[in-house]
Amino acid sequence: MTASYPPLTDIPPEDGPPYRVPLRNPLRDVRDRRLPRVPGPCALVVFGVTGDLARKKLIPAVYDLANRGLLPPGFAMVGFARRDWGDGDFAALARSAAEQGARTGFREDVWQRLSDSIRFVPGSFDDDEAFDTLASTLVEMEESHGIQGNAAFYLSIPPAMFPVVLKQMQRTRMADNSDRGGWRRVVVEKPFGHDLQSGMDLNRLVDEVFTPQDVFRIDHYLGKETVQNLLALRFANTLFEPVWNGNFVDSVQITMAEDVGIGSRAGFYDTAGAARDVLQNHVLQLLALTAMEEPVAFDAEAIRTEKTKVLGAIELPAHLDQYAVRGQYDQGWLGGQRVASYLEEEKVPKSSTTETYAAVRLNVQTRRWAGVPFYLRTGKRLPRRVTEIAVVFKKAPHLPFASTDTEELGHNQLVVRVQPDEGVTLRFGSKVPGSSMEVRDVSMDFLYGEAFTESSPEAYERLLLDVLIGDATLFPRNEEVELSWKVIDPLEEFWAGSKPELYRAGEWGPRGADDMLARDGRVWRRP
Amino acid sequence: MSTILWDTNGTEIVKTLAAERRAAGALASGLAVTLVVVVAEERVEEAQRAATTAAAAHPCRLLVVVRRRVDADDRLDAEVQVGGQLGANEAVAMRMYGRLTLHAESVVLPLLASDAPVVTWWHGETPDKLAHDALGVLAGRRVTDAADDPDPMAALKRRARDYAPGDTDLAWTRTTPWRALLASAFDDMSDVATSAEVRSQPGNPSAALLAGWLTARLGVRVRQMESDGPGITAVEVRFGGRDRLRIDRPDGYLATLSRPGITDRQLPLKRRDLGELLAEELRRLDADQPYADALSVVTGEKGLDSRSPKRTLVWKDPARAARKAATTTKKTAAKRTAAKRTAAKRADARKAAARRRSS
Repeated sequence: MTASYPPLTDIPPEDGPPYRVPLRNPLRDVRDRRLPRVPGPCALVVFGVTGDLARKKLIPAVYDLANRGLLPPGFAMVGFARRDWGDGDFAALARSAAEQGARTGFREDVWQRLSDSIRFVPGSFDDDEAFDTLASTLVEMEESHGIQGNAAFYLSIPPAMFPVVLKQMQRTRMADNSDRGGWRRVVVEKPFGHDLQSGMDLNRLVDEVFTPQDVFRIDHYLGKETVQNLLALRFANTLFEPVWNGNFVDSVQITMAEDVGIGSRAGFYDTAGAARDVLQNHVLQLLALTAMEEPVAFDAEAIRTEKTKVLGAIELPAHLDQYAVRGQYDQGWLGGQRVASYLEEEKVPKSSTTETYAAVRLNVQTRRWAGVPFYLRTGKRLPRRVTEIAVVFKKAPHLPFASTDTEELGHNQLVVRVQPDEGVTLRFGSKVPGSSMEVRDVSMDFLYGEAFTESSPEAYERLLLDVLIGDATLFPRNEEVELSWKVIDPLEEFWAGSKPELYRAGEWGPRGADDMLARDGRVWRRP
Repeated sequence: MSTILWDTNGTEIVKTLAAERRAAGALASGLAVTLVVVVAEERVEEAQRAATTAAAAHPCRLLVVVRRRVDADDRLDAEVQVGGQLGANEAVAMRMYGRLTLHAESVVLPLLASDAPVVTWWHGETPDKLAHDALGVLAGRRVTDAADDPDPMAALKRRARDYAPGDTDLAWTRTTPWRALLASAFDDMSDVATSAEVRSQPGNPSAALLAGWLTARLGVRVRQMESDGPGITAVEVRFGGRDRLRIDRPDGYLATLSRPGITDRQLPLKRRDLGELLAEELRRLDADQPYADALSVVTGEKGLDSRSPKRTLVWKDPARAARKAATTTKKTAAKRTAAKRTAAKRADARKAAARRRSS
């Protein structure tokens, strides 16, 4: 007897490339909003699984996904690292990582089930035998765990190791979609190179081994709930879009401040600096989402196309000496504690001229943003950890009040708070209660925690899920990385050989940054 | 912080709530929804506990309505609570007596958070027609629980006859983890299902709805088999002669998934408590068409989804109905004893239902 399915009102979205066309799943229904988005059967292979990132973010994120029931029944995780460990030792490490880092409560039964599907493959990256073992482990797991030849490879390793690992994957045909009849994807963390040339080299290297649409570049900022909300805010409302342009917007300030120093990252950080470490990826991505035109559809291709257009339209100011500032933190007091200067940090050369603060004015050469400066700043050892996008509106063209009444009235602002306290703030003028007319700025807050709690999933959880599902919406593509380097390279060139301006740890950056805005008759917003 | 108001009125409650909110500093609030709970006195605590769990995920204003005796003097007592043990939420518990019980909406309406969606949940006795209860009419989403009824299958029938888009039932909510697991197990099946079977405790409404859903989606006959429970214990889908997909959950906790060609896997599939179920209900506030489809299969009622989502109040006065009943029963004393017997039977059945509740 052959059953015929009733006509379905939907076709489940299938973003992935068509390797094997399974029968359309009759149990999936777009109207069924209760069923979670769960990836198909697959394995997650993590290179450098004993590293910091894997322990603090990846393993907890995998556990949280399991706990929320978002991993498929056919799931396996394989850790690859240089240590001489057995499955058992690794299980202990993974367990403590999950216990400490998980966002949701730790449940023994969930962990037991998850640990059944975790394997560890020890070996160094140039060890052919280890990679053969890895390849055969994946084949075995097709049978034992039902992963069906689907695998995502997470490269949580220094970029210098990429060529070796990628070569190994090519040799063992692990990166080959057709080999085992499933998809093969690769996840790459920043830094995506250190300038345009190296960025392009890296892209070419990865694309050679994997097909370009199977490469996922993680920018964890894009996994944050508020960043995605920026798109909802702009394109789902009528309220903001009419004023989201140079006719009404005076300027845009994007801030990404950290209160911490460089910690143990001296080796990497001293060769990179704030502009390469943060400006090139996180901040420019935030700029792109703020400034982009409306995508024709809410899918990966359309959104990335719009972002690419904006990044391509970015123009550096002609006078970099006036509109690009970099700084380095000196000793100072922060949060009631004395902190050392950058040059006194461990492993930093005493003569280092690496910046820990960078601020720059950019223009976006489109009709929408003509004449609107975008001020970007990022730094370490600033008073508090905060990331926000502030859209500052023009002042009202005419005020029917006496000038003394509106002395304290500033610009209207719409602030998207990316972290912490994810949410949106609207600042506008309001009358001060009393017998006289006096207008002063007030804030109206929307706090994520209050209205929709389902406590915002940690960014890595969301991004890992997207990789396994094959949804590339939140991942920048090659071109975006290269265009971003085209913005950063001239800055680095201009700064080369100069010394960064010092600022005291615990203040909002060097004097030069304030002067830069003062030159335009503006001030930085205190986040 | 909580304030108790004895023998009060709606205006007083509104004022007290505003004052409490001001004191708690919750002036700029982000309330996303108002949850109205209709519950009997003895289950208030249970309902409040569940609502508090749910509210942790979805900040809401909680309005608990307890209807006491209709044949008492009209009276309203209320307790207003902001923050405190309810986390970041605000709650008003109201006890109504006398004819006021029939006009509960007069107290509730001014207490609804402005322009936020309203969800009404009946925990315990549910009207045959939701339109008989004004508290159901003012809600955009109405939550019932067939498993709570002495006769769950009859309750499902009533829900289907009375269905309007925006209705939903916790018996359906209980199937979500099963459905999620089945759907992802189906992701890699490339065969056509030919038959299926669902095993559960006898008379389990969630099992019926799960079977209904499978029929609606797969277009195959789904047999329902009995087991000792708890709740649903197994689902099996067959693909032609040999291949089958099977999920077993004998203990209400851990499931075993068997598929052709793949080693069996164990997965957590825990029965959830009332609070978690309610939290799922508050996540989406639009009409639930898959529920309508499943309910339609189970009960044979057609065109559920094309009905109007709007309900109009149907006035039903229990006092008049009782008087009418009294005059007829007076005629034969024998009938009265028979009625007593049925009442006792109903009470027994209710106890049984309490044991069986949740899947």
